[in-house]
Amino acid sequence: MSAHDIENHGRGGGRKTRARDWKRGAFVFLCVLPAFLFLAVFLYYPIEETFRISTTKSLGLGPEIYIGLENYRRLLASQEFLAGLLHVFTWAFWSVVIQLPLAFAVAFLLSYYSNRFTGPLKSIFYLANVLPSAITAMLGKFVFAPNYGMIASFAKHIGWKWLGGVDFLGDPRLAFWAVFAVATWAYTGFPIIYLMARIEQMPKELREAAELDGASPWRYARSIVLPDLGYPLRILAVLCTVGSLKLFDLPNMMTTGGPGYATETLGIMLYRRGFIDWDYGLAAAIGVVIFLLSLLMTAAELSIGARREKIA
Amino acid sequence: MSAFRTRHGASEIAATAILAVLALVVILPLVMPLLFAFKTQLEFSYHPWALPKRLLVINFVEAWKAVRIDQGLANTLIVSLGAIVCTLPPAALAGYVFARYRSRATEIAFYAILVGYFVPAQMVLVPLYKMEVAVRLNNTLYGLFLPMAAFGIPFWMMIYRSFFKSLPGELAEAARIDGAGHSATFFRVMLPLARPATVLALILVFIGAWSDYLLSLILLSDQRLFTMQLRVASFLNAYGTDRMPRYAAAAIISAAPTVILYIVGHRWIIRGTLAGAVKE
Repeated sequence: MSAHDIENHGRGGGRKTRARDWKRGAFVFLCVLPAFLFLAVFLYYPIEETFRISTTKSLGLGPEIYIGLENYRRLLASQEFLAGLLHVFTWAFWSVVIQLPLAFAVAFLLSYYSNRFTGPLKSIFYLANVLPSAITAMLGKFVFAPNYGMIASFAKHIGWKWLGGVDFLGDPRLAFWAVFAVATWAYTGFPIIYLMARIEQMPKELREAAELDGASPWRYARSIVLPDLGYPLRILAVLCTVGSLKLFDLPNMMTTGGPGYATETLGIMLYRRGFIDWDYGLAAAIGVVIFLLSLLMTAAELSIGARREKIA
Repeated sequence: MSAFRTRHGASEIAATAILAVLALVVILPLVMPLLFAFKTQLEFSYHPWALPKRLLVINFVEAWKAVRIDQGLANTLIVSLGAIVCTLPPAALAGYVFARYRSRATEIAFYAILVGYFVPAQMVLVPLYKMEVAVRLNNTLYGLFLPMAAFGIPFWMMIYRSFFKSLPGELAEAARIDGAGHSATFFRVMLPLARPATVLALILVFIGAWSDYLLSLILLSDQRLFTMQLRVASFLNAYGTDRMPRYAAAAIISAAPTVILYIVGHRWIIRGTLAGAVKE
């Protein structure tokens, strides 16, 4: 509270003070109003509507008929939904297990050996993160396309027939991993620069002391840097998990969820059921599931991390 | 590498080499199309990895016609500017009030807006679309950047709030003593001081709107209004990778604006992303 506030609230009464209070209230109101209007129209009202529509049978322009939890029952009975749900969890798991350690290693090396190459290298690592997902998908297909793609044509060039004939995006066993590889390529840049910023905030004395004690870079990374990154790593894990719930752009453009349901995600199912089949009720139910799961995962991961920190 | 003096000897050289190889992997998919795009289909199928015999531009002409990135660029620019104009002022005003005028009421309002940060856009797609159809806002560029702004306001409100909190309170008081009212204090003293936050918001809101795919996909159906990313996506659907040289040319054309933007502004972009992420 500033001195001005105290002056206003400290002494009640007085016409001057009341006029000032009124002005202050009007200013506060007018400042918050625009943000509120935007959110009311495009967020609060649609959130309420999503819950409501999810309990109705609502096809295209047809009327909305209340059917209770029928849409949710349909979801649980649908193979597509279960495939999407499974991919959310496998995607979240592998992105935490693969992308975060990779990002930590790169971030640590970049900041530990900072020389005149590491600055440009850092910029290159972040480049793929800035590309719009449509372009990432385009480049992903360029790399993994059958016959003429970058990998296939290189394999043929050096005479590796077994690799040249692989259809990464068309083979149900490989499609998920091909999309995952493209996502790793595109999205690891952010954890790298984020962890780097955190590492560079650490006091220099820690490193000097470690070097005086003869600690190797590996030992320094493991025993001093890593324990200090508990909070940022937790945030990144939450981002990975919530990101996998919302996963849509890359698999939709690279494989449209296929072949079969090999790269199906909740986002793709929402889009197809809602905006290709015009089954609004079912799509809204998927929206509710995405929302609830993201709240649940955020809360769970933050609280687990917090508890561990208390013990340590 | 005689000019390369190391502080850590062999381990530093090894680490830098590993990082350089990784960086090569990162830029390879962006550089390789250059090798493919200038060839005819025939030349490509026999010598995909050789240097092109001559620089053929026909693939670029065809790809350009298919993607029409110029029309897309114009639409994308309008959407990005619209998103900036609709995101920044509401976020700055609300953030300022939440930082400087704390009371029970503003606290409640703060949390009400903060909630928006945790709502995935996908959750509200169905009602958003129905609503826009009802008021004929779908298939307009307004209909695209208005909800974009609404989804961005909570985050930028938080950034502005923590920024205004970090400014010394004496400045506002000095303006007060000089007789400035609430709004004059904000516009003439505080807002100019928040310029770093505003620059970050400008850059990142622009990039966000520039990259959008999901919202445009659902809200736009008129081909003429298609944003850049929608054009790239429909090229992906309509033209296969079988004619790889043309595909590679399209990839170069599509990626070029963003890559150029990044080369010019990468310091700002990285700094902005970090400032947004490290706060709170």
